[in-house]
Amino acid sequence: MIEINNVTKDFAGKKRAVDQLNLTIPDGKIIGFLGPNGAGKSTTIKMMTGILPIDQGTISLNGFDIEKNAMDAKKIFGYVPDRPDMFLRLKGIDYLNFIGDIYNIPTEIRRKRITKLTQLFSIDHALGDYIQTYSHGMRQKIIVTGVLIHEPEIWILDEPLTGLDPKSAYTLKEMMREHANKGKTVFFSSHGLEVVEQLCDEVAIINNGKLLFYGSLDDMRKQYESNQSLEQVFLELTNNE
Amino acid sequence: MNKTWLVMKTMLKMHYSRAGKKNTELMLLLLAGLMLIPVLFLYINLVGNAVSALYQFLEPLGQASSILGMLFLTLHLLLFIVSIITVLSAFYFAEDIESFIPYPLQPYQLLLGKATTPFIYLYFTVIAIYLPVFFFYGSVSGGSIFYYLFGIILAVLLPVIPFTIAAIILMFIMRFVNIAKNKDRSKVIAGILTLLIIILFNVAIRLNTNTEDVMEKFASFIQKQDGLLSMITAFYPPAYISAKALGDFSLVSILSFVGVLLLTALIFLLFILAGQRFYLKGVLGVNSGNKKNITTSKILTRVKNRNVFTTLILKELRIIFRTPTFFMQCVIQSLFAPIFLFIIMMLDTNSLGFVMDSFDPKKILLVLFLVTLFVFVANATAISSISRDGASWSANLFLPINMKQVFYSKIATAWIINLFTVGLFLGILLFAIKLPIEYTIIWLVIALLTSWFTSALGTYLDFTYPKLNWTDEQEVFKSRMVIFIALLIEFVPFGIIGMIVWKMDAVKGIMPTTIVLLIVLFIAIGVVHYVLMKKLSNGDHLKI
Ligand SMILES: Nc1ncnc2c1ncn2[C@@H]1O[C@H](COP(=O)(O)OP(=O)(O)OP(=O)(O)O)[C@@H](O)[C@H]1O
Ligand SMILES: [Mg+2]
Repeated sequence: MIEINNVTKDFAGKKRAVDQLNLTIPDGKIIGFLGPNGAGKSTTIKMMTGILPIDQGTISLNGFDIEKNAMDAKKIFGYVPDRPDMFLRLKGIDYLNFIGDIYNIPTEIRRKRITKLTQLFSIDHALGDYIQTYSHGMRQKIIVTGVLIHEPEIWILDEPLTGLDPKSAYTLKEMMREHANKGKTVFFSSHGLEVVEQLCDEVAIINNGKLLFYGSLDDMRKQYESNQSLEQVFLELTNNE
Repeated sequence: MNKTWLVMKTMLKMHYSRAGKKNTELMLLLLAGLMLIPVLFLYINLVGNAVSALYQFLEPLGQASSILGMLFLTLHLLLFIVSIITVLSAFYFAEDIESFIPYPLQPYQLLLGKATTPFIYLYFTVIAIYLPVFFFYGSVSGGSIFYYLFGIILAVLLPVIPFTIAAIILMFIMRFVNIAKNKDRSKVIAGILTLLIIILFNVAIRLNTNTEDVMEKFASFIQKQDGLLSMITAFYPPAYISAKALGDFSLVSILSFVGVLLLTALIFLLFILAGQRFYLKGVLGVNSGNKKNITTSKILTRVKNRNVFTTLILKELRIIFRTPTFFMQCVIQSLFAPIFLFIIMMLDTNSLGFVMDSFDPKKILLVLFLVTLFVFVANATAISSISRDGASWSANLFLPINMKQVFYSKIATAWIINLFTVGLFLGILLFAIKLPIEYTIIWLVIALLTSWFTSALGTYLDFTYPKLNWTDEQEVFKSRMVIFIALLIEFVPFGIIGMIVWKMDAVKGIMPTTIVLLIVLFIAIGVVHYVLMKKLSNGDHLKI
């Protein structure tokens, strides 16, 4: 469960990036986080993951406050950043091993999961290479692998599908579905409305740092005449600001 | 020409951009500058005295010009070595070149753009060494207006020749090294080897000069007017004609001056031509990693369980050793001081042992301590602790790692890298200086603690003024005033403490001095840890 209470974030000299955001996300669901460029999605996610300090309000993950109880909270989630350009000077296997050590995963389980996941993503042949030599999609995949090695209770992804080929995108979506089916939470931001429509149980739409809508797609259809597509609702919602 | 200028400007801007820098940094820089003024005075005084003493000795013999010859020769050699290092990092380990490749620019234009950063370092060297000697020589020898005019112009031209020679040698070598599979590693190795060969070459020449032989020649050269100058610069004409150009104003000096101008122009042209031909061939192409096809099952045997602290240190070390720029700056550069010291020792061991004997134990320990501090002060690993992470820094925040552990692992990494230096020093102390064993052991303990102190301090300072938003690793070390602050913090208090202990009669003998030094070090380490932890509990790591 993710609880975002009255969260506000300002960057010096700019308009408010996140404004009084309230959001409660239950377990076992896939949630899509939508909004135009600069809406405040990445900023929200960075506050959820402890990367950015929260100006006002609180965020807790499974009851652990990300600021007051940081270590416990961080053990619960796994995060895939929007830019996967991290640890470029490590080899793929070194990176996965590093993550395994951080989350204290037993060697055998580590091996099993690495084998399975890298084969699914077809990056097993590149494990001995530097991440620097990986393509954008491969970098994305190695980070996803790193997250799934520790099977987090909450999985947070920032635009995970950009740059993935159709097969890998499909694999990733399957993994997200599977993760939710195990009773865990998947929270991801995206610009792909079809993906959201086909995958998500619930969507949250923000613009200018404010929450415009949160609920299931059915709710949305009820609220805005049933025949409208998500695209039309999205454009309508984010336009009249 | 316009485009060349544009490339130069853009590259400089990228390197010295002030994006994400605080203004307090500028203030501190100013402060540091002010506090260095007394040191500057001391230095200028020293140079002045040395030049006039040499002049008074050599002038009656008609050999004063050899001072200028020595100056040019030493400077060319120094500039050459600085060039090798800076060219290596600017031309071959900086990746910003890739962003310029797609544009319609000539290789030589990129090359000139790249040359600006090394030239800044070269001019600093010229200002620090050439200018003071030049002015003092001018004033004691009563130099004419032409002396100053030619001399200033020569100062501007000085770096060109050594730089070009270094650049051409490196471009030529890299052109062939770049074929290797692991380009990063082979370039690093080639660079280090070049440097080593040059240093060894120098040492070999010095060691091979037969003293009696030299004395004999010296006697005959000294008979002739300016004979000493010819002898010193016999193997290196540029130094000879440069010194001649600054001689008494005459046809010879004018011709020599024109000669220098022509030679510089010619060599510069050669640089452009060689660059146009070789440069891009040596620089393009990415590291292709190891192409031996390792099977996945074999790779999986590398999966091992380690505790978090070990895995953090291992990660840091891996990144340092696998990134050419980090490797050069953190590991290789830190070895320079002891290696240079070693070379000097090799040449002149007897006198040092003599100095050692005449000191009392307290003074020996104090000198050792200050020298050790000096060697560790510009600890590149420590002052890049945080900045090295760059875009990966946020991982420290979202992964469940204790922040204290992150920082301790970074301090420990700097400390481990310092062990190379400690080891080299240990060798020098034991074999070159032949320091008694009890001193060596005490020194070792003090050195290890000093190393921890500078590592912690450097990490703290880098945490205070981090540079994370770099696109090229070089920026981590460029125009960072953190080094300056570290210098100040380490030298002013410790200098004063050292002085007090030196003068204090109450502290005498090995043991008391050791105890005083240990207490000082423990206090210093305690203070740094305290401020670091305070900053962490303040949540400052979230704000960078
Ligand atoms: N480090 C920063 N400094 C200053 N302003 C920032 C910073 N990061 C984000 N912002 C501002 O905060 C606002 C929200 O940005 P954010 O990155 O959260 O948008 P986003 O919804 O993720 O957009 P996108 O879809 O393009 O990824 C923007 O106005 C942006 O300019
Ligand atoms: Mg974003």
